[in-house]
Amino acid sequence: MEALANNLQVLFQGLALGSIYALVSLGFVLIIRATNVVNFAQGDFAMLGAYIMVACLTGAGAPYWLAFVLALLAMAAFGLLFNFGVYYPLRHRSFLPVLISTLGASIFMQNTVLAIFGAQPRAMEKVLNFDGLHVGGVFLDSQYLVILAVTMVMVAFQYFFFEHTLVGKKLQATSQDKDMARLLGIPVALMIAITFLYSATLGGLAGVLVGPILFVSIGMGSIIALKAFAATIIGGFGDVKGAIVGGLFIGVVESFAAYYISVPYKDAYAFLMLFLVLIFRPQGFFGEKVSEKA
Amino acid sequence: MRATLRAVIAAALAFGVCGAFADTIKIGLVSEITGPNAEAGSYTINGARLAAEQINKKGGILGKQVELVIEDNQSTNPGTVLAFSKLGGNTDIPAIIGPIRSTQVQAASPTIAKAGIPVMIGGTDPSLTHVNNPWVFRCRPNDSFSSKVIANFGVNTLKLKKWAIVHSTDAFGSGGQKALTEALKVYGVEPVLTQGYTNNSQDFTPVVLAIKKSGADVIGTYMTNSQDLGIFAKQLRQLGVTATWIGSPSIVTDTAMKLAGEALHGTYGIADFNPDANAEAKAYAQAYSAKYHLQPDVYSSWAFDALNVIAQAINTAKSTRPDDIRKAILGLRNWKGVEGTYNFDENGDGLRGYNIVKNEGGKIVYVKHISSPK
Repeated sequence: MEALANNLQVLFQGLALGSIYALVSLGFVLIIRATNVVNFAQGDFAMLGAYIMVACLTGAGAPYWLAFVLALLAMAAFGLLFNFGVYYPLRHRSFLPVLISTLGASIFMQNTVLAIFGAQPRAMEKVLNFDGLHVGGVFLDSQYLVILAVTMVMVAFQYFFFEHTLVGKKLQATSQDKDMARLLGIPVALMIAITFLYSATLGGLAGVLVGPILFVSIGMGSIIALKAFAATIIGGFGDVKGAIVGGLFIGVVESFAAYYISVPYKDAYAFLMLFLVLIFRPQGFFGEKVSEKA
Repeated sequence: MRATLRAVIAAALAFGVCGAFADTIKIGLVSEITGPNAEAGSYTINGARLAAEQINKKGGILGKQVELVIEDNQSTNPGTVLAFSKLGGNTDIPAIIGPIRSTQVQAASPTIAKAGIPVMIGGTDPSLTHVNNPWVFRCRPNDSFSSKVIANFGVNTLKLKKWAIVHSTDAFGSGGQKALTEALKVYGVEPVLTQGYTNNSQDFTPVVLAIKKSGADVIGTYMTNSQDLGIFAKQLRQLGVTATWIGSPSIVTDTAMKLAGEALHGTYGIADFNPDANAEAKAYAQAYSAKYHLQPDVYSSWAFDALNVIAQAINTAKSTRPDDIRKAILGLRNWKGVEGTYNFDENGDGLRGYNIVKNEGGKIVYVKHISSPK
């Protein structure tokens, strides 16, 4: 009985952390699809969102829900700024300059936040005002429940948005073939700007949700982003379903491997999975083989 | 024409002379200004600056004003090595205050040996002063003493025998784990669980479940980052572990207490610095709070002592030659600092005692001082 409870506990933690990886990974995927570039500042979107929320809460004394909304709005605006400052000037260049540009943005964001907020990590209150539930020997942290729920809602929203709205379809068309989309009268630059806006908001959301658990610190984004990046590749580079499944997969595998095999090697399992997938299924769970790509 | 030339030469000579006999004495400081540990680094700099200010008010070192030359190590080992080679190459600098992280000191040890000038460190991995490097001096008690004090307090005072050890796998954490295991052996205690984790773990569920399963009634920890400590503390309480917790100094830092909040109430910690431990500490705490509007903690207090030890040693030696400073540091007897009474042994370890403190409802309460014999 206790063994079952322990396993369920480990599964719950794995799914919850995996959801966070999935949220950040979704942001990776959307930008990869729109621009063919890995955005190395994706994790820092989470960090920035969390710090903006802390500033609204402790600096401006805003109520929790307002701080939450403000942080997401600020991240949406930042996404646009990021698009025009980091991506747009280099849009006609190859993949590498843009990649370096996002890397530079990441360093810039981390050090700007360090200069403004200082290096001391901050605590943040949970969304719900109770610590969690005890269900048959398993402790369900209220914040992790919120994270799981929000991830599910976001996945549903994303599906609806991309498959059933005109903007979503235009975004898909842009990511599939920019020239063709342009010929059909789709404003490609605007679509890419919307992608950055959405990815930054998604990253910010991940940061705001995970802040109460992992605390808000300068390095919080990079720690999550590394795993999320592995999730992106495992899921199939640039596949939305893959991002979600990859994120959950990494979360659950590392959680169980840490419990049954060894805790100090926890971070290694994510990358071991990455190696195995790259060897046996290089296109990832849901990726197309490159030769098949139109 | 000739007059101008003469004036130029005179001016050049004057500058040269000024350069050689500068009226300040430069002391190096390698600290974490950027990177994940920048917070602790800023406190270290605070402590050293306060010491420099007080020394300068009292007339400086050998009649010269102290000037700190601060090098950032980016919170990394390579950054530390780089910072030491930079400062070590500057012949104006007779001594350096190094980092508080054991792993960084370990990385820089060969560079320090090559530079051949006294370096004060705050890292507490016992091996750092036992690698035949005569230039490393420690201004904090090392972990072989911290673990002896943790074991002594847990076994003798609290009468607890079922130990679980949780430690970071970095140099500090694994050094502490080894030393605590040794210290417990003296009392005939074999830990029921020894569990390592890597820094920046996002989830401690497997660790907590292992503790639960082991049935330990006391947990001894060597944790490096306050975020890790905060997450562990919360999950420990959430999953219903009620064992007594005695932690290494990071458990009583301001940051850890803010992050973990109630989850740390009732825990014990050892602290080499406590504002109520002695008169020097009281005066220091007052001056520090007045200057920075912050509560002083160990990150600042050891650096304060380090600069004062250097100043005292150079003044005693009346020389800035590395050998003379080294002899003077080793010759200090019962020198009273804020961290305790310093007597450097031949390895360069200055302190051997710790204060036991308890977190009572978020307030740090002084319990007792335990000094360990060599």
